[in-house]
Amino acid sequence: MAASEPKGHGLHAGMWVFPDAKAMSQDVSTKTTSLTMALLVTGVLFILGIVGFVARAVVDGFDDIAPWGYYMAVFSLVFMITSGAPLVAVAFRFTKSHWRRPLSRVAELFSIVAILNLLMFIPLMFLLPDLANPNGVVEGQLELRRTIWFEGPIGAPHAWDLLGVAFLVITSLSILWVSAMPDMAESRGIATGFRGWLYNRLAGHWYGTRRQWNTQKAGLALLGAFYFMTMIFVHFEISSDYAQSLIPGWKDSIFPVIYSVTALQISLGAILVTLFIMRRWGGYEGYIGKSTFWSASKVLLGVTLLWVYHLFAFFITFWYGRTEVEQNIVKYLIVESYGAVFLANLVFSFVAPFALLLWNPVRRSAWGPALAGLLAIIGGLMFNIRIFVGAANASEGSAIYDQLLEHVPPPVYPDVWDVFMVVGGIGAAIFVFLAATKLLPLLSLWEVKEGALYQKWGRFMRGEYLVLGKPE
Amino acid sequence: MQEGTPLQSRQINRELLGSILNSPKWFWMAISILGFIVLAGMSAAGILINQGFGVTGLNRPVMWGFFITNFVFWIGISHAGVMLSAILRLSKAEWRRPATRAAEILTVFSLMTAMMMPLIHTGRPWRTVYWIYTLPFIPYDYARGIWPNVRSPLVWDPSAVYTYLTSSVLFVLVALIPDFAVLRDRTTGLSNRIYGMLAMGWQGNPRQWKLQIIAGVLLSALILPVFVSVHSIVSWDFGMAVSVKSWHSTIFAPYFVVGAVHSGVSAVAFVLILLRYAYGWQNYIRHEHIDALGRLLVVVATGWFYFFVMEVIFGFYGREADEIAVRNLQFMISPWNVWMFIFVGLTYFLPVAIWLSRTCRRNLWIMSIACISVNIGMWLERFLIIVPGLARKQLLTFDWYTYRPSSVECLIIGSTFALVTMLMLLIARVVPLIPLYDIKEGEILRTEIKIGRVSVPATFRED
Repeated sequence: MAASEPKGHGLHAGMWVFPDAKAMSQDVSTKTTSLTMALLVTGVLFILGIVGFVARAVVDGFDDIAPWGYYMAVFSLVFMITSGAPLVAVAFRFTKSHWRRPLSRVAELFSIVAILNLLMFIPLMFLLPDLANPNGVVEGQLELRRTIWFEGPIGAPHAWDLLGVAFLVITSLSILWVSAMPDMAESRGIATGFRGWLYNRLAGHWYGTRRQWNTQKAGLALLGAFYFMTMIFVHFEISSDYAQSLIPGWKDSIFPVIYSVTALQISLGAILVTLFIMRRWGGYEGYIGKSTFWSASKVLLGVTLLWVYHLFAFFITFWYGRTEVEQNIVKYLIVESYGAVFLANLVFSFVAPFALLLWNPVRRSAWGPALAGLLAIIGGLMFNIRIFVGAANASEGSAIYDQLLEHVPPPVYPDVWDVFMVVGGIGAAIFVFLAATKLLPLLSLWEVKEGALYQKWGRFMRGEYLVLGKPE
Repeated sequence: MQEGTPLQSRQINRELLGSILNSPKWFWMAISILGFIVLAGMSAAGILINQGFGVTGLNRPVMWGFFITNFVFWIGISHAGVMLSAILRLSKAEWRRPATRAAEILTVFSLMTAMMMPLIHTGRPWRTVYWIYTLPFIPYDYARGIWPNVRSPLVWDPSAVYTYLTSSVLFVLVALIPDFAVLRDRTTGLSNRIYGMLAMGWQGNPRQWKLQIIAGVLLSALILPVFVSVHSIVSWDFGMAVSVKSWHSTIFAPYFVVGAVHSGVSAVAFVLILLRYAYGWQNYIRHEHIDALGRLLVVVATGWFYFFVMEVIFGFYGREADEIAVRNLQFMISPWNVWMFIFVGLTYFLPVAIWLSRTCRRNLWIMSIACISVNIGMWLERFLIIVPGLARKQLLTFDWYTYRPSSVECLIIGSTFALVTMLMLLIARVVPLIPLYDIKEGEILRTEIKIGRVSVPATFRED
């Protein structure tokens, strides 16, 4: 065993773990449990998704965005998780939180899933209607529909959106590479086959000199700052071009913020679920103390509250404004057409996680935050269905260029291909994540080792408590 | 992150109670000057009440000017207290310790100052008594059908602000109890009796400490929603007004809250620097604390800038003529575009450029400049939201108008800054502006951890 028994007093029993830095690499390398069954199940779901996609393409083609609402929703769900997760690693590394160490690599591994996202985005690029009204100047319609691209620079919005998503994927992969370099270097001598080749290619030059460590940390900080800005911008692009801009008259400055907050919430949720599975069934309980769940759950609670706060700020402004278009949008996305989906969204994204995380014993457990995270992911799916299916079906044909949404469209329910695509999209994301864990360990070894140096169990007054080093 | 030498309990008492037990020589001189400015402001308010609104630059359609700008500004400053005290307490940030008390007290005084602004703005402040005066059973204005809409944000506003004021006072008082007990034990006569009363029988036994800590944590958690609601509701005073297009924006609530935190934390950083110089508290307000505030401010400022950009982009996004007219005024027409340029530069680009450098964050003069810059910028921000929006409120151009503040307004606004400074100095005379027990707790929990040949600062943690 490369770790001591978890320590802590009373309510905080089992909160802290003290891994043995010397035995850690060897111990973690033995934890490559077989994921064949999980890969098989998610692989089947992946194939179902491809079947659904092909069937939808054959039946409806790529001329109209309306039948692709559910595809947009599942793309957005996976995109939110894969784009938000690296930011979680970046943000807590920036704040120098010790508890983040076991979750950094799990978060960064989602950037490999982001490659899938990039592929899923390509058809969406062709589906997005042109900015210019094909009918030219028509009474009651806009010549150029409302868009964040205003007069439409060359390639807008399609090429710019693709560029944004691609840039985000490249940056997140760069973060993963720089972060995993010391771990890959450590294993390059013993890893065989493809892994050995990969580690030598990606970390062949790393010898762990002081200069290399300083460069690595500065690189992570710079890439992190850059990633944060890119992510915010790409969220702004996607949420505007694929949602807001498709509903005539929907002018909502808070929506990109809600989109980013939802992304952070569900990506943190996905990380917590993964950590729980690793700890419960993966043999990582010596490395992932409850303190990680305890601290991350507070952040999740905060983000959950932020989510509902932003949603309320949107709702109250539209509800109080009472202009015709605002009322129609509220009826469409919240009260009438997608009322049931909104209710599920609210329950899973706010009510249930909030009711769970409010309790200290739940937050101090490993299952509580993970369950709240899982609920938030379901809520995120509802959010994406409500917004993207709603946006894709808000107007027919050239009505997308109307000045205002003058009526409340009916909801669109999923057909069998939609169900295949949604299930398949989620399955594909899990499949790629599981495959990624075959390449890199789920634990950022250098970070956990570093953390082990900064903490010890020390005597204070009449008891023993954690002593936590804060070097700067 | 702990710098400086370890401090003994006796030394902490002596140095931090110095401002109360021995006034510095400059104290009464400073109070006199500030008091004079406050008196001048009161006289200006008297003139306004006596002569009417004609002495101000307000005229239709710009009926909200300096007073409402100043109201929003001071409400914003009040957000420092909860941000630094409640949030950092809940997140167990060690560096919060010297900053909390000053932030909480600044919250109380800035809220009080803020609430004076709408009263002065009514022109006839005595009439506010009718809002609550019930004869025979309902308020006077309701009886006359003048204020029929209880759903108006203008009704929510005082409710939220007074709730925040009440809870902030409670927050300060609960945190002050152990320090009042220390003062009780070091004073005589009337002071002793007053401090004794305020200390409420504090003996410092384990049960009292436990209750005090629980009360602090509970109040921290409970005050958070109030904190968010206050500036959100202030923003909805604007956001719910459909007739002013540039105000009717869904992002206003979080935009105002983040802006408030930005200006509030900057103000606290500046107040801490002033206190350090004024009272010689170099051992308590150290460079590391100002450095940490600087780093926090980089995040807050960037968050604020993101909301600002969203607000502006979606202003143009709608392509509505009346909103474009406002944006045109803000960004294209002199002097408003110059003010806009200055506002963005002072609020974001200058301070963030400073805060990104560790050397600058640790230079107190440069930090002071950055913090003042933010607050000038944030004041301008509110002004540039309010006035251009109203100036272009009407669709017909012959109804457009602008606004030029009068000297009476300028004097009243200037005196509010003097008032808050004076109140801060006066309160420093009766309560320690750095919490004694919090500093002592930090010193007790302070330790070191040995890694190889290096000793790293560390703290004991229970969770």
